[in-house]
Amino acid sequence: MWLGIWLAAIGLVLGMVIGFNVPFVFPQAYGKYMGLAVLAALDSVFGGVRASMEGRFDNAIFISGFFSNALLAAGLVFIGDRLAVELYTAAIVAFGVRLFQNLGAIRRHLLKK
Amino acid sequence: MAHRYVSITLVALILGLMLVFQFRTANNRIEGVPYDRAHELAVELKNLTRERAGLKAEAEDLEQKLFRARQGYAQAKETLEAEVERAAIVAGLTPVTGTGVRVLVATGAQTPGELFAVRDEDLLKLVNELRAAGAEALSLNGQRLLSTSEIRIAGTFINVNTQKITPPYEILAVGDPVALKSNLEIKGGLVETLRDWRMVVTVESMDRVVVPAYKKALRYEYAKPLKEAA
Repeated sequence: MWLGIWLAAIGLVLGMVIGFNVPFVFPQAYGKYMGLAVLAALDSVFGGVRASMEGRFDNAIFISGFFSNALLAAGLVFIGDRLAVELYTAAIVAFGVRLFQNLGAIRRHLLKK
Repeated sequence: MAHRYVSITLVALILGLMLVFQFRTANNRIEGVPYDRAHELAVELKNLTRERAGLKAEAEDLEQKLFRARQGYAQAKETLEAEVERAAIVAGLTPVTGTGVRVLVATGAQTPGELFAVRDEDLLKLVNELRAAGAEALSLNGQRLLSTSEIRIAGTFINVNTQKITPPYEILAVGDPVALKSNLEIKGGLVETLRDWRMVVTVESMDRVVVPAYKKALRYEYAKPLKEAA
């Protein structure tokens, strides 16, 4: 499990390094979509960490959840923009709540040990 | 197991990428136009477009008004020109033509020593008679007769418009030829009297008489138009 955490940390740092060195910047108009996608991705990662700690980590569920959550979050923002309803608040609330739940579960798991 | 680590690394990598991209985008506000600002500008553009359309309509309306005003101006100009023309005819500043009569008066030459030569009074009476008959424009030996024109004897000549004239005297009158002629040649009228005095007077009806313009400058030193009367 520690190998997984290390690998995750290495991947994160690597992604950041690549991100900082790529000259490409997203247009401002897509900032909102990207932000929500990041939130959803964070939620997925925390969910993955929690699942692995509880011993029921499934690779397919993790990967599909990661991408589908990110896409759904961005899609919600898009639809909200088209309908002039701020739908992305729903995504923020849902993913935010889940994020804290996952964090709480991870905390409890770590403390129980 | 290997799958798991690959996917974790991949997900972490993508997450890192996204985080940094979002971070850079969020901190890039100054360089680009913020999304809200763009929205604001779009709204403003819409408003300005609407305003522009309104102003365009207004401009068209004003242009039409201007056009109409110009038309009115042209009409006023035409009216004024017509007025000036009429005034010029009345004042005798323009040559006029029309039907009328030609009156020739000459001293009878066949009886030398005859006392009666043509005098200013005879011409005055003729002119007066023609005016009474409705003559609209008169000239005497090429001198246009205005309201200020004099006909009077000065030495051995007759002066009209301070210009000497010599016999034979020719009076041109624009007006109704029949009325003018009959007025002069009425039985016991002026022409008959003059003929009795051995003057040779001929009155001709003319289809076209050209009465010349008054050739001198009009000067009104004392007379001023009275504003209130107008």
